Amino acid sequence: MAGLSAVLLKDLKLELRSGQSTIALVALSLLILVVLVFALGNEGVRGPEGAAGALWVALVFAGTVGATKALLAEGENGCLRGLVISPVDRATLFAAKMMAAAIFMAIAEIAAVALMVLFFNLEFDARLARIVPILALGIVGFAALATLLAAVSGRTRAADLLMPILAVPMFVPALIAGVKASAGVLAGRPLSGLQAWLGILVAFDIIFVVSGYLLFEQVARED
Amino acid sequence: MKRALTTGLGASGSALLLAALGMVFLYVPTEATQGIVQRIFYFHVPCAWIAFVSFALVAICGIFYLWLDQQVWDDLGYAAAEVGMVFCTLVLITGSLWAKPIWGAWWTWDSRLTTTLILWLLYGGYLMLRAMSEDTAQVARYAAVVGIVAALDVPVIVVSVRLWRTIHPAVLVTRQGGHGLEDPRMVATLLVSIAAFTLFAAWLLMLRFATLRTRTRLNELARHLALNELSRRGEE
Repeated sequence: MAGLSAVLLKDLKLELRSGQSTIALVALSLLILVVLVFALGNEGVRGPEGAAGALWVALVFAGTVGATKALLAEGENGCLRGLVISPVDRATLFAAKMMAAAIFMAIAEIAAVALMVLFFNLEFDARLARIVPILALGIVGFAALATLLAAVSGRTRAADLLMPILAVPMFVPALIAGVKASAGVLAGRPLSGLQAWLGILVAFDIIFVVSGYLLFEQVARED
Repeated sequence: MKRALTTGLGASGSALLLAALGMVFLYVPTEATQGIVQRIFYFHVPCAWIAFVSFALVAICGIFYLWLDQQVWDDLGYAAAEVGMVFCTLVLITGSLWAKPIWGAWWTWDSRLTTTLILWLLYGGYLMLRAMSEDTAQVARYAAVVGIVAALDVPVIVVSVRLWRTIHPAVLVTRQGGHGLEDPRMVATLLVSIAAFTLFAAWLLMLRFATLRTRTRLNELARHLALNELSRRGEE
Protein backbone atom coordinates (compact mmCIF):
# COMPACT_ATOMS: atom_id res chain seq x y z
CA MET A 1 0.00 0.00 0.00
CA ALA A 2 2.86 2.34 0.87
CA GLY A 3 4.52 1.47 -2.42
CA LEU A 4 1.34 2.15 -4.34
CA SER A 5 0.83 5.60 -2.84
CA ALA A 6 4.53 6.44 -3.19
CA VAL A 7 4.61 5.75 -6.92
CA LEU A 8 1.21 7.32 -7.52
CA LEU A 9 2.09 10.45 -5.52
CA LYS A 10 5.39 10.70 -7.40
CA ASP A 11 3.54 10.76 -10.72
CA LEU A 12 0.93 13.22 -9.45
CA LYS A 13 3.55 15.53 -7.95
CA LEU A 14 5.53 15.45 -11.18
CA GLU A 15 2.40 16.34 -13.07
CA LEU A 16 1.40 19.08 -10.65
CA ARG A 17 4.79 20.74 -11.12
CA SER A 18 5.03 20.51 -14.89
CA GLY A 19 1.40 20.04 -15.94
CA GLN A 20 2.71 18.62 -19.19
CA SER A 21 0.58 15.52 -19.64
CA THR A 22 -2.69 17.11 -18.62
CA ILE A 23 -2.22 20.21 -20.75
CA ALA A 24 -1.12 18.10 -23.72
CA LEU A 25 -4.08 15.74 -23.29
CA VAL A 26 -6.60 18.58 -22.98
CA ALA A 27 -5.11 20.35 -26.01
CA LEU A 28 -5.10 17.17 -28.04
CA SER A 29 -8.72 16.36 -27.10
CA LEU A 30 -9.73 19.87 -28.16
CA LEU A 31 -7.91 19.51 -31.48
CA ILE A 32 -9.42 16.11 -32.19
CA LEU A 33 -12.93 17.48 -31.59
CA VAL A 34 -12.23 20.44 -33.87
CA VAL A 35 -10.77 18.18 -36.57
CA LEU A 36 -13.82 15.93 -36.40
CA VAL A 37 -16.21 18.86 -36.72
CA PHE A 38 -14.35 19.98 -39.87
CA ALA A 39 -13.96 16.46 -41.23
CA LEU A 40 -17.58 15.44 -40.81
CA GLY A 41 -19.10 18.74 -41.87
CA ASN A 42 -21.85 20.61 -40.10
CA GLU A 43 -24.58 18.06 -40.74
CA GLY A 44 -22.46 15.01 -39.98
CA VAL A 45 -21.71 16.01 -36.43
CA ARG A 46 -25.16 16.99 -35.20
CA GLY A 47 -26.89 14.92 -32.59
CA PRO A 48 -25.88 12.56 -29.81
CA GLU A 49 -24.40 9.91 -32.14
CA GLY A 50 -21.83 12.30 -33.59
CA ALA A 51 -21.06 13.85 -30.22
CA ALA A 52 -20.52 10.46 -28.54
CA GLY A 53 -18.35 9.28 -31.42
CA ALA A 54 -16.20 12.40 -31.29
CA LEU A 55 -15.82 12.11 -27.53
CA TRP A 56 -14.55 8.55 -27.76
CA VAL A 57 -12.20 9.28 -30.64
CA ALA A 58 -10.71 11.99 -28.42
CA LEU A 59 -10.46 9.52 -25.53
CA VAL A 60 -8.67 6.86 -27.60
CA PHE A 61 -6.16 9.12 -29.31
CA ALA A 62 -5.45 11.45 -26.41
CA GLY A 63 -5.10 8.38 -24.19
CA THR A 64 -2.66 6.69 -26.57
CA VAL A 65 -0.48 9.76 -26.86
CA GLY A 66 -0.61 10.35 -23.10
CA ALA A 67 0.43 6.79 -22.30
CA THR A 68 3.32 6.85 -24.78
CA LYS A 69 4.49 10.17 -23.41
CA ALA A 70 4.32 9.00 -19.81
CA LEU A 71 6.40 5.99 -20.74
CA LEU A 72 9.04 7.96 -22.64
CA ALA A 73 9.32 10.29 -19.64
CA GLU A 74 10.08 7.28 -17.42
CA GLY A 75 12.71 6.16 -19.89
CA GLU A 76 14.71 9.37 -19.38
CA ASN A 77 17.61 9.21 -16.93
CA GLY A 78 16.91 5.55 -16.23
CA CYS A 79 13.79 6.33 -14.15
CA LEU A 80 12.13 3.13 -15.28
CA ARG A 81 15.05 1.03 -14.16
CA GLY A 82 14.96 2.82 -10.81
CA LEU A 83 11.27 1.97 -10.46
CA VAL A 84 11.84 -1.65 -11.44
CA ILE A 85 14.63 -2.18 -8.90
CA SER A 86 12.78 -0.32 -6.14
CA PRO A 87 11.28 -2.56 -3.41
CA VAL A 88 7.80 -2.17 -4.89
CA ASP A 89 6.41 -5.31 -6.45
CA ARG A 90 5.51 -5.16 -10.11
CA ALA A 91 1.79 -5.63 -9.65
CA THR A 92 1.69 -2.62 -7.33
CA LEU A 93 3.73 -0.68 -9.86
CA PHE A 94 1.13 -1.53 -12.49
CA ALA A 95 -1.72 -0.43 -10.21
CA ALA A 96 -0.01 2.90 -9.45
CA LYS A 97 0.85 3.62 -13.09
CA MET A 98 -2.66 2.68 -14.17
CA MET A 99 -4.24 4.98 -11.58
CA ALA A 100 -2.00 7.88 -12.61
CA ALA A 101 -2.91 7.34 -16.28
CA ALA A 102 -6.61 7.14 -15.38
CA ILE A 103 -6.47 10.37 -13.38
CA PHE A 104 -4.80 12.29 -16.25
CA MET A 105 -7.27 10.87 -18.74
CA ALA A 106 -10.19 11.77 -16.48
CA ILE A 107 -9.05 15.40 -16.32
CA ALA A 108 -8.74 15.50 -20.11
CA GLU A 109 -12.17 13.91 -20.47
CA ILE A 110 -13.83 16.50 -18.23
CA ALA A 111 -12.49 19.16 -20.59
CA ALA A 112 -13.51 17.10 -23.64
CA VAL A 113 -17.09 16.67 -22.37
CA ALA A 114 -17.41 20.41 -21.77
CA LEU A 115 -16.09 21.13 -25.27
CA MET A 116 -18.39 18.50 -26.77
CA VAL A 117 -21.41 20.20 -25.22
CA LEU A 118 -20.34 23.52 -26.72
CA PHE A 119 -19.34 22.26 -30.16
CA PHE A 120 -22.28 19.92 -30.64
CA ASN A 121 -24.91 22.29 -29.22
CA LEU A 122 -25.97 19.98 -26.40
CA GLU A 123 -27.23 21.13 -22.99
CA PHE A 124 -25.50 21.08 -19.62
CA ASP A 125 -28.10 18.90 -17.88
CA ALA A 126 -28.70 15.59 -16.10
CA ARG A 127 -27.76 13.59 -19.18
CA LEU A 128 -24.14 14.61 -18.68
CA ALA A 129 -24.18 13.09 -15.19
CA ARG A 130 -25.23 9.79 -16.71
CA ILE A 131 -22.29 9.80 -19.10
CA VAL A 132 -19.86 9.89 -16.16
CA PRO A 133 -19.98 6.17 -15.21
CA ILE A 134 -19.67 5.19 -18.89
CA LEU A 135 -16.60 7.36 -19.41
CA ALA A 136 -15.15 6.18 -16.09
CA LEU A 137 -15.41 2.55 -17.22
CA GLY A 138 -13.82 3.42 -20.55
CA ILE A 139 -10.99 5.34 -18.89
CA VAL A 140 -10.20 2.51 -16.44
CA GLY A 141 -10.12 -0.03 -19.26
CA PHE A 142 -7.98 2.12 -21.50
CA ALA A 143 -5.60 3.07 -18.69
CA ALA A 144 -5.07 -0.61 -17.84
CA LEU A 145 -4.57 -1.59 -21.47
CA ALA A 146 -2.30 1.38 -22.20
CA THR A 147 -0.15 0.84 -19.10
CA LEU A 148 0.45 -2.80 -20.00
CA LEU A 149 1.07 -2.10 -23.68
CA ALA A 150 3.27 0.93 -23.05
CA ALA A 151 5.52 -1.33 -21.00
CA VAL A 152 5.46 -3.86 -23.85
CA SER A 153 6.29 -1.44 -26.64
CA GLY A 154 8.45 0.92 -24.57
CA ARG A 155 11.79 -0.70 -25.15
CA THR A 156 11.29 -1.53 -28.80
CA ARG A 157 12.62 0.56 -31.67
CA ALA A 158 9.38 2.33 -32.53
CA ALA A 159 7.56 2.61 -29.21
CA ASP A 160 5.40 5.58 -30.20
CA LEU A 161 4.25 3.78 -33.36
CA LEU A 162 3.72 0.37 -31.88
CA MET A 163 1.67 1.52 -28.91
CA PRO A 164 -1.44 2.65 -30.91
CA ILE A 165 -1.07 -0.26 -33.34
CA LEU A 166 -1.40 -2.68 -30.43
CA ALA A 167 -3.81 -0.69 -28.28
CA VAL A 168 -6.49 0.42 -30.73
CA PRO A 169 -7.62 -3.03 -32.00
CA MET A 170 -7.66 -4.35 -28.45
CA PHE A 171 -9.80 -1.42 -27.33
CA VAL A 172 -12.43 -2.05 -30.03
CA PRO A 173 -15.01 -3.82 -27.81
CA ALA A 174 -14.88 -1.05 -25.18
CA LEU A 175 -15.00 1.56 -27.94
CA ILE A 176 -18.13 0.06 -29.50
CA ALA A 177 -19.85 -0.31 -26.14
CA GLY A 178 -18.74 3.12 -24.94
CA VAL A 179 -19.92 4.98 -28.05
CA LYS A 180 -23.28 3.20 -28.06
CA ALA A 181 -23.87 3.76 -24.35
CA SER A 182 -22.78 7.41 -24.52
CA ALA A 183 -24.98 8.08 -27.54
CA GLY A 184 -27.82 6.42 -25.64
CA VAL A 185 -27.57 8.63 -22.56
CA LEU A 186 -27.01 11.78 -24.63
CA ALA A 187 -30.21 10.93 -26.48
CA GLY A 188 -31.96 10.85 -23.10
CA ARG A 189 -32.12 7.12 -22.43
CA PRO A 190 -31.68 5.96 -18.81
CA LEU A 191 -28.62 3.87 -17.87
CA SER A 192 -30.83 0.90 -17.02
CA GLY A 193 -31.71 0.57 -20.71
CA LEU A 194 -28.07 0.24 -21.69
CA GLN A 195 -27.09 -2.69 -19.51
CA ALA A 196 -25.70 -4.82 -22.32
CA TRP A 197 -23.18 -2.11 -23.30
CA LEU A 198 -22.27 -1.40 -19.68
CA GLY A 199 -21.76 -5.14 -19.19
CA ILE A 200 -19.26 -5.24 -22.05
CA LEU A 201 -17.39 -2.27 -20.59
CA VAL A 202 -17.25 -3.92 -17.17
CA ALA A 203 -16.07 -7.24 -18.66
CA PHE A 204 -13.40 -5.41 -20.67
CA ASP A 205 -12.18 -3.57 -17.55
CA ILE A 206 -12.03 -6.76 -15.50
CA ILE A 207 -10.07 -8.61 -18.20
CA PHE A 208 -7.49 -5.88 -18.70
CA VAL A 209 -7.07 -4.81 -15.09
CA VAL A 210 -6.64 -8.42 -13.93
CA SER A 211 -4.40 -9.52 -16.81
CA GLY A 212 -2.33 -6.33 -16.52
CA TYR A 213 -1.96 -6.87 -12.78
CA LEU A 214 -0.86 -10.48 -13.30
CA LEU A 215 1.28 -10.03 -16.43
CA PHE A 216 3.03 -6.74 -15.61
CA GLU A 217 5.63 -8.73 -13.69
CA GLN A 218 6.62 -10.37 -16.97
CA VAL A 219 6.99 -7.19 -19.00
CA ALA A 220 8.70 -5.09 -16.34
CA ARG A 221 11.32 -7.73 -15.65
CA GLU A 222 14.86 -6.97 -16.81
CA ASP A 223 17.39 -9.61 -17.79
CA MET B 1 12.20 -38.21 -37.13
CA LYS B 2 11.30 -34.53 -37.27
CA ARG B 3 12.41 -34.33 -40.89
CA ALA B 4 10.31 -37.40 -41.77
CA LEU B 5 7.29 -35.79 -40.10
CA THR B 6 7.81 -32.55 -42.01
CA THR B 7 8.22 -34.36 -45.33
CA GLY B 8 5.18 -36.53 -44.60
CA LEU B 9 3.06 -33.48 -43.78
CA GLY B 10 4.24 -31.72 -46.94
CA ALA B 11 3.61 -34.68 -49.20
CA SER B 12 0.21 -35.63 -47.77
CA GLY B 13 -0.87 -32.01 -47.57
CA SER B 14 0.04 -31.36 -51.20
CA ALA B 15 -1.66 -34.55 -52.39
CA LEU B 16 -4.84 -33.75 -50.46
CA LEU B 17 -4.80 -30.15 -51.68
CA LEU B 18 -4.74 -31.42 -55.26
CA ALA B 19 -7.61 -33.79 -54.44
CA ALA B 20 -9.55 -30.95 -52.80
CA LEU B 21 -8.96 -28.75 -55.86
CA GLY B 22 -10.25 -31.57 -58.10
CA MET B 23 -13.30 -32.06 -55.94
CA VAL B 24 -14.09 -28.33 -55.80
CA PHE B 25 -13.91 -27.93 -59.58
CA LEU B 26 -14.99 -31.30 -60.94
CA TYR B 27 -16.92 -33.29 -58.36
CA VAL B 28 -19.06 -31.06 -56.18
CA PRO B 29 -22.38 -29.87 -57.68
CA THR B 30 -22.88 -26.16 -58.25
CA GLU B 31 -24.95 -24.52 -55.54
CA ALA B 32 -28.42 -23.67 -56.88
CA THR B 33 -28.88 -20.04 -55.80
CA GLN B 34 -25.32 -18.71 -55.66
CA GLY B 35 -23.88 -20.47 -58.68
CA ILE B 36 -20.22 -21.03 -59.37
CA VAL B 37 -18.88 -18.45 -56.85
CA GLN B 38 -20.07 -20.58 -53.98
CA ARG B 39 -17.16 -22.94 -54.69
CA ILE B 40 -14.77 -20.48 -53.01
CA PHE B 41 -16.53 -21.49 -49.79
CA TYR B 42 -14.51 -24.76 -49.76
CA PHE B 43 -11.30 -22.74 -49.47
CA HIS B 44 -12.71 -19.93 -47.35
CA VAL B 45 -13.89 -22.09 -44.45
CA PRO B 46 -10.65 -24.12 -44.07
CA CYS B 47 -8.65 -20.87 -44.10
CA ALA B 48 -10.80 -19.45 -41.32
CA TRP B 49 -10.39 -22.64 -39.32
CA ILE B 50 -6.57 -22.54 -39.69
CA ALA B 51 -6.45 -18.85 -38.76
CA PHE B 52 -8.46 -19.35 -35.57
CA VAL B 53 -6.52 -22.46 -34.52
CA SER B 54 -3.22 -20.66 -35.14
CA PHE B 55 -4.22 -17.66 -33.06
CA ALA B 56 -5.32 -19.95 -30.22
CA LEU B 57 -1.92 -21.65 -30.53
CA VAL B 58 -0.18 -18.26 -30.19
CA ALA B 59 -1.90 -17.69 -26.84
CA ILE B 60 -1.25 -21.26 -25.61
CA CYS B 61 2.43 -20.99 -26.54
CA GLY B 62 2.54 -17.62 -24.77
CA ILE B 63 1.22 -19.15 -21.56
CA PHE B 64 3.71 -22.03 -21.75
CA TYR B 65 6.57 -19.65 -22.51
CA LEU B 66 5.85 -17.45 -19.50
CA TRP B 67 5.34 -20.50 -17.34
CA LEU B 68 8.28 -22.69 -18.37
CA ASP B 69 10.62 -20.04 -19.82
CA GLN B 70 11.73 -22.30 -22.67
CA GLN B 71 12.62 -20.66 -25.98
CA VAL B 72 10.95 -23.46 -27.95
CA TRP B 73 7.49 -22.15 -26.95
CA ASP B 74 8.33 -18.68 -28.19
CA ASP B 75 9.52 -20.05 -31.53
CA LEU B 76 6.38 -22.13 -31.93
CA GLY B 77 4.16 -19.16 -31.00
CA TYR B 78 5.93 -16.89 -33.48
CA ALA B 79 5.58 -19.48 -36.26
CA ALA B 80 1.88 -19.95 -35.44
CA ALA B 81 1.27 -16.18 -35.57
CA GLU B 82 2.85 -15.97 -39.02
CA VAL B 83 0.89 -18.93 -40.39
CA GLY B 84 -2.31 -17.60 -38.81
CA MET B 85 -1.75 -14.19 -40.37
CA VAL B 86 -1.38 -15.70 -43.86
CA PHE B 87 -4.61 -17.66 -43.56
CA CYS B 88 -6.48 -14.80 -41.90
CA THR B 89 -5.51 -12.62 -44.88
CA LEU B 90 -6.76 -15.37 -47.22
CA VAL B 91 -10.06 -15.50 -45.32
CA LEU B 92 -10.56 -11.77 -45.84
CA ILE B 93 -9.60 -11.97 -49.53
CA THR B 94 -11.68 -15.05 -50.41
CA GLY B 95 -14.57 -13.59 -48.41
CA SER B 96 -14.41 -10.34 -50.38
CA LEU B 97 -14.25 -12.19 -53.70
CA TRP B 98 -17.37 -14.12 -52.74
CA ALA B 99 -19.20 -11.13 -51.27
CA LYS B 100 -18.92 -8.93 -54.37
CA PRO B 101 -21.19 -11.04 -56.64
CA ILE B 102 -23.41 -12.35 -53.81
CA TRP B 103 -23.90 -9.30 -51.59
CA GLY B 104 -23.00 -6.73 -54.24
CA ALA B 105 -20.25 -5.25 -52.06
CA TRP B 106 -16.66 -6.16 -51.28
CA TRP B 107 -17.18 -5.44 -47.65
CA THR B 108 -20.06 -5.12 -45.20
CA TRP B 109 -19.78 -4.53 -41.47
CA ASP B 110 -21.32 -7.89 -40.71
CA SER B 111 -20.34 -9.25 -37.30
CA ARG B 112 -18.18 -12.10 -38.62
CA LEU B 113 -16.34 -9.88 -41.09
CA THR B 114 -15.74 -7.22 -38.47
CA THR B 115 -14.50 -9.74 -35.92
CA THR B 116 -12.12 -11.30 -38.45
CA LEU B 117 -10.79 -7.89 -39.44
CA ILE B 118 -10.11 -6.97 -35.82
CA LEU B 119 -8.36 -10.32 -35.28
CA TRP B 120 -6.24 -9.57 -38.33
CA LEU B 121 -5.32 -6.15 -36.89
CA LEU B 122 -4.52 -7.65 -33.48
CA TYR B 123 -2.13 -10.25 -34.84
CA GLY B 124 -0.71 -7.77 -37.34
CA GLY B 125 0.25 -5.73 -34.27
CA TYR B 126 1.80 -8.82 -32.71
CA LEU B 127 3.95 -9.42 -35.80
CA MET B 128 4.92 -5.73 -36.00
CA LEU B 129 6.06 -5.89 -32.39
CA ARG B 130 8.27 -8.83 -33.31
CA ALA B 131 9.54 -7.19 -36.48
CA MET B 132 10.41 -3.95 -34.72
CA SER B 133 12.49 -5.46 -31.95
CA GLU B 134 15.51 -7.67 -31.38
CA ASP B 135 15.31 -11.39 -30.61
CA THR B 136 15.74 -11.09 -26.87
CA ALA B 137 14.07 -12.99 -24.06
CA GLN B 138 12.42 -9.72 -23.06
CA VAL B 139 10.76 -9.27 -26.45
CA ALA B 140 9.68 -12.91 -26.36
CA ARG B 141 7.92 -12.17 -23.06
CA TYR B 142 6.32 -9.04 -24.55
CA ALA B 143 5.04 -11.08 -27.47
CA ALA B 144 3.72 -13.77 -25.14
CA VAL B 145 1.85 -11.14 -23.11
CA VAL B 146 0.36 -9.56 -26.26
CA GLY B 147 -0.67 -13.00 -27.57
CA ILE B 148 -2.39 -13.91 -24.31
CA VAL B 149 -4.12 -10.55 -23.87
CA ALA B 150 -5.30 -10.57 -27.51
CA ALA B 151 -6.83 -14.02 -27.05
CA LEU B 152 -8.57 -12.90 -23.83
CA ASP B 153 -9.95 -9.94 -25.74
CA VAL B 154 -11.47 -12.10 -28.50
CA PRO B 155 -14.65 -13.20 -26.60
CA VAL B 156 -15.43 -9.56 -25.69
CA ILE B 157 -14.85 -8.51 -29.30
CA VAL B 158 -17.20 -11.22 -30.56
CA VAL B 159 -19.97 -10.26 -28.10
CA SER B 160 -19.64 -6.50 -28.65
CA VAL B 161 -19.51 -6.74 -32.44
CA ARG B 162 -22.50 -9.08 -32.55
CA LEU B 163 -24.52 -6.77 -30.32
CA TRP B 164 -23.43 -3.78 -32.39
CA ARG B 165 -24.76 -5.48 -35.55
CA THR B 166 -27.98 -6.90 -34.16
CA ILE B 167 -29.09 -3.51 -32.86
CA HIS B 168 -28.39 -1.95 -36.26
CA PRO B 169 -28.91 -4.82 -38.70
CA ALA B 170 -26.94 -4.77 -41.93
CA VAL B 171 -28.59 -5.43 -45.28
CA LEU B 172 -27.48 -9.03 -45.10
CA VAL B 173 -26.67 -10.47 -41.74
CA THR B 174 -27.36 -14.08 -42.52
CA ARG B 175 -24.90 -15.94 -44.63
CA GLN B 176 -24.66 -19.47 -45.79
CA GLY B 177 -23.02 -21.64 -43.18
CA GLY B 178 -22.06 -25.29 -42.95
CA HIS B 179 -25.62 -26.36 -42.24
CA GLY B 180 -26.70 -25.02 -45.66
CA LEU B 181 -24.93 -27.85 -47.47
CA GLU B 182 -27.77 -30.12 -48.59
CA ASP B 183 -25.80 -32.34 -50.93
CA PRO B 184 -23.56 -34.98 -49.24
CA ARG B 185 -20.95 -34.30 -51.95
CA MET B 186 -20.68 -30.74 -50.65
CA VAL B 187 -20.02 -32.01 -47.13
CA ALA B 188 -17.41 -34.46 -48.46
CA THR B 189 -15.64 -31.73 -50.44
CA LEU B 190 -15.60 -29.41 -47.45
CA LEU B 191 -14.18 -32.12 -45.17
CA VAL B 192 -11.44 -33.08 -47.66
CA SER B 193 -10.61 -29.42 -48.12
CA ILE B 194 -10.39 -28.82 -44.36
CA ALA B 195 -8.13 -31.88 -43.95
CA ALA B 196 -5.92 -30.72 -46.84
CA PHE B 197 -5.56 -27.19 -45.49
CA THR B 198 -4.89 -28.46 -41.98
CA LEU B 199 -2.03 -30.70 -43.17
CA PHE B 200 -0.70 -27.97 -45.42
CA ALA B 201 -0.77 -25.38 -42.62
CA ALA B 202 0.85 -27.84 -40.21
CA TRP B 203 3.60 -28.32 -42.78
CA LEU B 204 4.11 -24.55 -43.11
CA LEU B 205 4.18 -24.29 -39.33
CA MET B 206 6.82 -27.02 -39.05
CA LEU B 207 9.01 -25.39 -41.70
CA ARG B 208 8.77 -21.97 -40.07
CA PHE B 209 9.28 -23.48 -36.63
CA ALA B 210 12.43 -25.28 -37.82
CA THR B 211 13.78 -22.01 -39.25
CA LEU B 212 13.12 -20.18 -36.01
CA ARG B 213 14.75 -22.98 -33.99
CA THR B 214 17.85 -22.66 -36.15
CA ARG B 215 17.83 -18.91 -35.64
CA THR B 216 17.60 -19.38 -31.87
CA ARG B 217 20.53 -21.79 -31.94
CA LEU B 218 22.56 -19.34 -34.04
CA ASN B 219 21.80 -16.54 -31.59
CA GLU B 220 22.92 -18.74 -28.71
CA LEU B 221 26.13 -19.64 -30.54
CA ALA B 222 26.84 -16.00 -31.34
CA ARG B 223 26.32 -15.02 -27.71
CA HIS B 224 28.53 -17.86 -26.57
CA LEU B 225 31.29 -16.84 -28.98
CA ALA B 226 31.09 -13.22 -27.89
CA LEU B 227 31.40 -14.25 -24.24
CA ASN B 228 34.39 -16.44 -25.02
CA GLU B 229 36.03 -13.60 -26.91
CA LEU B 230 35.48 -11.26 -23.96
CA SER B 231 36.96 -13.64 -21.41
CA ARG B 232 39.92 -14.35 -23.71
CA ARG B 233 40.64 -10.63 -23.98
CA GLY B 234 40.31 -10.35 -20.22
CA GLU B 235 43.01 -12.98 -19.74
CA GLU B 236 45.46 -11.26 -22.08
